[in-house]
Amino acid sequence: MGDILQIALPAWQFAALLLAPLGLLAGAAAGLRRMLKQRSMNGDNPDWSVPPLADAAGTTLFHRWDVRCKIAALVVYSFLVASLQHLTPALAAVAVSVLALVLARSSLARALMRLLAITGFLAMFLVVMPLSAPAHPGDTVLVVTGVDWLGFNLRGLYKALAIAAKGIAIALLMEPLLTTAPLPVTLHGLTRLGAPDMVGQMVLLSHRYLHVFRHEAERMAAGMRVRGFRKRTDLETLRAVANFLGMLFVRSFERTERVFDAMRARGYRGHFPAPAATRMAAKDLVLAAVWLAVGIGLVIYDRIFWDRIFWDQICW
Amino acid sequence: MHISDGVLPISITVGAYAASAALAAWSVRRTRSEELPKVAVVTAAFFVASLIHVPFGPTSVHLLIPGLAGALLGPSAFLAIGLGLLLQSILFQFGGLTALGANALMMGVPALACGVFFQKLKGRSRRRQSLVGGLAGALGTALAALILALLLASGGEDFFGVAKIALAAHIPVILIEGAVSAFTVAFLVRVKPELLAPAFVQGHPRQPELNAPPQEPPDSPAHG
Repeated sequence: MGDILQIALPAWQFAALLLAPLGLLAGAAAGLRRMLKQRSMNGDNPDWSVPPLADAAGTTLFHRWDVRCKIAALVVYSFLVASLQHLTPALAAVAVSVLALVLARSSLARALMRLLAITGFLAMFLVVMPLSAPAHPGDTVLVVTGVDWLGFNLRGLYKALAIAAKGIAIALLMEPLLTTAPLPVTLHGLTRLGAPDMVGQMVLLSHRYLHVFRHEAERMAAGMRVRGFRKRTDLETLRAVANFLGMLFVRSFERTERVFDAMRARGYRGHFPAPAATRMAAKDLVLAAVWLAVGIGLVIYDRIFWDRIFWDQICW
Repeated sequence: MHISDGVLPISITVGAYAASAALAAWSVRRTRSEELPKVAVVTAAFFVASLIHVPFGPTSVHLLIPGLAGALLGPSAFLAIGLGLLLQSILFQFGGLTALGANALMMGVPALACGVFFQKLKGRSRRRQSLVGGLAGALGTALAALILALLLASGGEDFFGVAKIALAAHIPVILIEGAVSAFTVAFLVRVKPELLAPAFVQGHPRQPELNAPPQEPPDSPAHG
């Protein structure tokens, strides 16, 4: 700890430092998006707008893991990862998640989709935090020669990188958690863990009708396009979108009544039949224990031993 | 904008989960229990609505619709929004699973507030209903942005800059949301006015069957 260490850079170096990672990130995101679009055009999975969750026919460790143990272990582990504060343990968590992806043979494209979804939010942190974090004694700040209102605080960058690593680690873990069993089985496991039965039912129903209403919305949108509607930045577009929404709500509220009648006619009395019997064996519990131990190990490393790492020390 | 995993301090994350669970439990109690499946189906429609992008200059924004959800669902809105966010998280990774509590507070509390605001002030005339609906839409998004900024700022002064940017990024969304909500409410007043009273709420006189031929509820002026 000492004074603020200021490193003056010429303006072009400063700009390069700022823009190069940003350009890299934007390029990576654009490349990813194009790659996913191409894949979906090849016809192996034509519709990515609402990704399906079930990819359940596998025999990997994650597919065979008892669903209750899997949910409990991975969710608690996610919270442990979310509580990390330093970069190195967070990067270790990313490595663990990648290992889990490989073990579960998860679809790389879907994992990349998830990363793409959080890129914008995390990029905001990576850009804003180094520039806005106030300089404390002991910080290293890069400044432009002759400009004193702008400084690139390495501690801010460090914090933003730690956040990004945590976000990536947990997002990657969602594929092994959610797609190694069909959604009804996962939700049944959640119920068996003590969540109210109605939660699982409501998620299932919503998930089912999500696709129905999306198809309906697509039909309505196609109809609007055929009649010459193009989205622009004007009030008329907003009015058309609002009527579209209103119609969607009217139809969906009407549909709920019919859906509910149909459910009752088929014998719905407040719960769905259980999808499968769950059996918990010793090895399921062992795997859960190992997974949690890894998480606790990361937290201990994060809280106690983080100062052994060179860059954690200089940037914190 | 959804908060992703690992951003908030762990105490805020867990606290937001507890608060959301309490609010969701309250929301369930205020909803007629046999109609919870219907709330789930309606949630799917709100979910699809939130996927719609509206162009804004060179970029586009997607609708958040906490205000409309509050106006149409009343106290059940918190439940619907929590459910919708859970689905967005598990399907798209919009908002992380560990940040679900914080995201539910951020969108659900404005929805509840807008529901009360809309029901108290909606009055009888068509013009007034759409005006109040628009205000509710704008208010819902503004409140959501404010809660987002507060949650981000809870991380300490290093996060203040991000919180400010997030708040500023919502200003166009607030305007668009307000206009779309006003037009949507105007549409519903003309087409199906009974939707503008919360449908599944306990203690409310039972709504006329939604797929029955339209009949005039005594307090609803279809031709205002």
